Formats: sequence, C-alpha cells, structure tokens
Amino acid sequence: MSVVQKGGAAVASASRRQFLKAGLAGGAVAAASTVAGGALAAGDPLITEIQDWNRYPGDGVDAFPYGKPSQFESEVVRRNVPWLTSDSISSINFTPLHELDGIITPNGLCFERHHAGIAVVDPQQHRLMINGLVDTPLVFTMADLMRFPRENRVYFLECAANSGMEWRGSQLNGCQFTHGMVHCVMYTGVPLKYLLEEAGVKTSAKWIMPEGADASAMTRSIPLEKALEDCLVAFKMNGEALRPEQGYPLRLVVPGWEGNMWIKWLRRIEVGDEPWHQREETSKYTDLLANGKARRFTWVMDVKSVITNPSPQAPIKYKRGRTVLTGLAWSGNGTIKRVDVTLDGGRNWVTARLDGPSLSKSLHRFYYEFDWDGSELFLQSRAIDEAGFVQPTKDELRAARGDNSIYHNNGIQTWHVNPDGVIENVEIS
Amino acid sequence: MSRFPNAVLVAAAALLAAVTSVSAQDAALGEKVFARCKACHAVGEGAENRVGPHLNELFGRTAGSIEGFKYSPAMTKAGEGGLVWEDETLAEFLAKPKDLVKGTKMAFAGLKKEDEIANLTAYLKTFSANAASGAATPAAPASDAPEAPAEKKSEAAPDAPETKAAAATEAAPAEAAAEVSEEVPSHGVFHLGRPATEDEVAAWDIDIRPDGAGLPEGRGTVAQGETLFADQCASCHGDFGEAVGRWPVLAGGQGTLMNERPEKTVGSFWPYLSTVYDYIRRAMPFGNARSLSDDDVYALTAYVLYLNDIVTEEDFELSKENFTSIRLPNEDNFIDDDRLSEPHYAANIEPCMKDCKPGKAEITKHAAVLDVTPDSVDDEENTGGGID
Repeated sequence: MSVVQKGGAAVASASRRQFLKAGLAGGAVAAASTVAGGALAAGDPLITEIQDWNRYPGDGVDAFPYGKPSQFESEVVRRNVPWLTSDSISSINFTPLHELDGIITPNGLCFERHHAGIAVVDPQQHRLMINGLVDTPLVFTMADLMRFPRENRVYFLECAANSGMEWRGSQLNGCQFTHGMVHCVMYTGVPLKYLLEEAGVKTSAKWIMPEGADASAMTRSIPLEKALEDCLVAFKMNGEALRPEQGYPLRLVVPGWEGNMWIKWLRRIEVGDEPWHQREETSKYTDLLANGKARRFTWVMDVKSVITNPSPQAPIKYKRGRTVLTGLAWSGNGTIKRVDVTLDGGRNWVTARLDGPSLSKSLHRFYYEFDWDGSELFLQSRAIDEAGFVQPTKDELRAARGDNSIYHNNGIQTWHVNPDGVIENVEIS
Repeated sequence: MSRFPNAVLVAAAALLAAVTSVSAQDAALGEKVFARCKACHAVGEGAENRVGPHLNELFGRTAGSIEGFKYSPAMTKAGEGGLVWEDETLAEFLAKPKDLVKGTKMAFAGLKKEDEIANLTAYLKTFSANAASGAATPAAPASDAPEAPAEKKSEAAPDAPETKAAAATEAAPAEAAAEVSEEVPSHGVFHLGRPATEDEVAAWDIDIRPDGAGLPEGRGTVAQGETLFADQCASCHGDFGEAVGRWPVLAGGQGTLMNERPEKTVGSFWPYLSTVYDYIRRAMPFGNARSLSDDDVYALTAYVLYLNDIVTEEDFELSKENFTSIRLPNEDNFIDDDRLSEPHYAANIEPCMKDCKPGKAEITKHAAVLDVTPDSVDDEENTGGGID
C-alpha cells in the first residue's frame, strides 16, 4: 500500500527530481572520491551514500489530511486472541503496550471491548436521557451538552478481566496480551454531577444506572456517591472526538473503576434507590472465590504494574551492556507512590525512576537503566500506590481467592530473559 | 462527510436498479434482514466461517462444499445429491431450513415473509459474482445509499455548524422541539436540555430489578418458550442451553462452582431471575435485539427456568404476578466486596528490598509451553481460560 503511495508521489515530483539531480551530480562525485582516498574508506553506506529521502522531496502537506503513523510502524497495532470469545462482535483486543512510551495511549491503539460490535451513532441523532428518581426527567442533545462547563482529566481505563487469563498460570507470551486491556487518555467532558443536578436528584436516590445505545444496551449500577464525586460524561479523548470503538459520540468516565462501567454510546442514566443487578454485575464481573462464594460490586482497580520493555514481544537484541527497562504502573486508589524492580526474581529489589506526570488514577511511567552482563534475568516490577497498598504476588492472590476469579488479577508479572535475550512469560519459585 | 459523494451514490444506485432486476433498495433492506443471520454467518470482504459457513460466492455454490467447515451429514449429503444454492433453492431453504435439508444443524427456524426472503437474497447476491441476475456490484452503494431524509439535507450548505444544529432540531420530535426553541426551560441550574416525555421514558426505561420493579404486564409458558427458543436461541445456546462453541451455556453446572472448571449458568450461578428477563429483553436474540414481545420474554425466561430444572412442568406459566416468587438457587452465595480483608492488602507495610527469598529463582510455569499466544498457534480448539 505504501509502495503505491510512494510511487504516486515519485511520479508527481519527477520533473523536479530530474532538475535537482542535474544540480547535485557534481557534488556527489566529489564527496565519493574524498572518502575513497582515506584509510577509513569502509563505512556505513547509509551514511556514505546519499539516500533517496535525502535527495528527493516527499509527499506534500495534504497527502494525509488525517495523519497516520509511519509505514515502518505497521506492526504497532491492537491484536486479539481469537479463541477467547465466541465472535469478534462480542470480543476484545489488546493495546500494544510494548510499543508505547510515556503515559498517554494514542487513540487508535486503545484496546476495544464490545458486546455487540461498534455502534454507529450520528451525533445529531444522539440523545442522553436522565430519568428515575429526579425532579424533571430530561433529554439532552449533544449540542445541549456542549453548553455545560467542561473538565479535562487524564485517566487510565482497565478492563476488570485484564490479566484474567493468567489466573491459573502463565498463558500468553507478551505484555500486550497479559496486560493490554488498559489504556490512558485525556478526556474532555461534563462532570456528571452537573447533569444530575440539572434534573434534580431526589433525596431517596442512592444509585445510578448508565445505559448504552448499542445493540447490547450495556448497563451497570454505580453508587450515586461515585457519580457525584468524579464521573465525567466525555465526548473527547486526547483532544479529538471519541473514536467510534470508544463510544462515539458520548461515553461515561468512571475514574479508577473497572472499564466495563465506563458505558459507551451513553444514552441514558437512570437514578434509583437500589442497584439493578444487571447481567454485567451478576453473571459477569463478579469474582468467584475458592469457597464457591462470589464477590460482587468489586469496582476499584487495584495497584498494578508491568514491565513493558524488555518483554516477550520486545526481546533484547544485543549481547550485553546498557539496557533501559521501562514499564507502567497504575492504581484506582490514586497516584503511584513508588515502583520497585528486580532482576533476580524478587531476591533483591531496587527503586525505579518515575518520569512524566503523576496524575491520580492515570498511568505512571517508570524506568530503570542498568548494565546487563548477558546472564539470565527474572524481571519483575512491584508498585505501591498513594494509599499504601503494595502490588501482591500472583501466589498471594491465589491463596486468597483461588484460581477462578477471572477478574482483578493485579499480581506481579515475571519475565524470564535468557542469555540470548529471548524473553518468556513465566512464574517462578 | 460532504453530501456530494452521497448524491453520486444515489445516481449510481438508481442506475443499478434500472439495469438489473435486483434493486439497490431490496439489497439495502436485505442487509437489515441479515442482522438476524450474522451472529452465525459472515459475508463480505474477509468473511470467514463462524457457527455457519461464510456466504461469499453463495450463488452457484454446491451445498455443503466450503472446505474446512464442519457441515451436518445431512447438508453434505444434500450437496452430493446435487443441491446448488440459487434463487429457488435458497428461497425454499430460508423459508424453512429443516424442510429442505432435514437434519441441517442450522437452527434458525426460517423467514416467514416472502419479501424478507427476496430482500435477503438480493443482499447476498451482491457478494456473489455468479448471481444469475448479474448484480456483481458490491453491496457498498446499497448500504451507503442515503435514506429519504438525507436527500433533503443535501440541499443544505455542507458542514456549516449552524446548519447542522438546525438539522438536529428538525430531527427532534416535532412538538417537543417546538417547545424548546420557544422558551428557556425552568428546570435545573443551567436550564439546558428539555423535559423527557412519558412515551420517551417508557421507550427506553426497560430495566427490571430483583424486586420486580419494571416488570411489564404479560405472561408466557415453558411450552411457548421452547418453540421460541428453538427458533431464535438454539443456534447459539444449543437446544438445551448447552451452547454451541463458545457461546454462553445457559443450563446445568449446578454444584460445580468449587470445581477446577466451574460452569456458571443461570441455574448454577446467576443470583436473580430479573436479570434473565432484563437481559433477554434488552439484548437478545443476538443480532436482532428488542424484537421480542414482553410475553415472548416471559415465555423464554420460563423455558430457561425449565432447562435448569427450577420449574418442571411444561405448562408452567411465568407472569408479572408470580415472577418474584421464583428464587434462583445461588442467590445467597453473592457477597459484597471484602478484598480489604485479604492479608496482602495490609497498607503501609514496607516491602522487603534485600535478600527477600533464599536461593536462585526457578521457573515453575511457562507460557511458551501452553503455547496459546496468537501468531504462534492456529488451533481454535484451545482450552485456555477464556473471558466472555
């Protein structure tokens, strides 16, 4: 595809190229003869020879009215695990964490989770209703919502099932698959409390239930306290309109709480005095324990971290020497206070360097630079959040909950680095 | 987003309609009918086999002939016997699949209306180069063809924000919109939005709570539910709720919650019957949500109870009146979030930094051994723990 585009551009600029070629020819010959004469004649041809991109102009300003990543980044994409779910219409894919840096996830790489595919909603035809225990049930158009005061907030969104496939032991070989159901963007939206106040919440109200306009009509019960505290009704992510797969034109933002509650294509919010016990908070998103009991309403995403590089999809490609270890940490309880890393599988730990903004309920980026001696490594990271909670081991989680919880696996991840730099998802003694 | 390309498409679609017997409108309507099929069948670019075979190049195809798809023996035999998919055979099959191919595993009961069959056939033809009518043009023009109101919009200046706002007001329910534009509402702080009408609230407020709040008037029996289930549900959930492929299992599993592989069904796991009614009503059948009547949903809910041995008589009738008298067996096994009681939550414990464990780390589990990572395996029968 890119070849075609390049070809097209080449044709367009052919006459200019010939013109330039004639002018440059003399200079190139002179340079080549100088190099050939010296003792350091051999050199990287990428340096010693003039490259096409150095000689010929590239595409003009409107070649891509909506810009996209370099053709050399074509591997940086969301990926799914086909056997996880019955059909791609109700399925999930994963953010390529090992390809990213900083704390913001590009919009096109934010993982997707749909229960009935991506709804296509014309914003002019979108309505948001607030009903139930309110003084005046209201209907808002998108234009109405644009007239409320807005806020900008950076938050992570993590699926409660992130790392869920790893409960019984190491399963998927790559942090994209073990931890890629998380993303972090800046949302622009209206605080939900303004919308609720506009309708007038009755004193008996204790819960809200947001509902999506898609064919799954996704619903969750959320305590009114949380709704009034920090929830947003968002229409922008990273400055531009929500992507269709993220709920365009409107989604709920429920900071620090499980992603399933962040209703996409948000069309209705009902106010009530009791929870509704919808499908996604009874048969799903409840945590089955070893004793057969199941926890419900486990909303907060606990303190968690993962080393994104090196990792199975991003092996070490040199024999030894300076190495940058980096990763992500986050907590639904607030900011990350500290991240420790170990190279020897938890025998000895060092504190990593946090860099970039430290925002409540958002991703945090950490680094640890070291000289690799070329020997086997067992890499782990361990985050501590501002509430003082320490990321547990997977064994600690299993001891407390058994193997069948599916959700809320925030255990410490181990990557095994062998002397060839090949990396594998393992569990260790 | 300019309207101009749409205008071109309208012309193209009109031309297509004039030239061929398959009008673009039929195909467009057929695409809507296809919503009922697409939980199991894929068609179009990149379509693959799912629960059912893909439907590209269907016309002229011998029945049961897609390599790699596991057909019922009946369908394979029908193909060997000379059954080829074309207008007439497909119309007959779509009307009542089990009449044409007795023993087909396609659980869909059939399309009752002839125009639905005709429209669906027209739609599928757009993906078949061999379609007898010669409608070889892909379906894109049909699906993108603007409906009547869009033509009106095309007269407006493209993309002017003011025009968009005006169009939005026009699209709103006439009487309500008129009220908004006349006066500033008295509600709230910012006086934004407008009061919802009773009909609007009724149209969207369809949720049911465990205490029965929200239940509509209505009733349905196990026997009625069984018929509906066979027609609309069994293709994914299996005749007895045992499920096809990875679609959700609805019945059985009682007593397995402490097993190595728990089976979480309505009978074994779900705490409240209201959730069953609510979910069927809002989201089922997959691919055709909101198509069931309130009585249908009572009947299907009754049948799911029957599949789980929670009711045992086929003439059992579930209704608004007796709904809350039925309790699901696992209700008491749900507890509120008590994660904080787990030992590792003890806050402000300074974790160990030096010589924390004796000896060298030894690998106890490998991901590579399980080998279920995408790109490293193409085995769809993998048994890794799934999510859904």
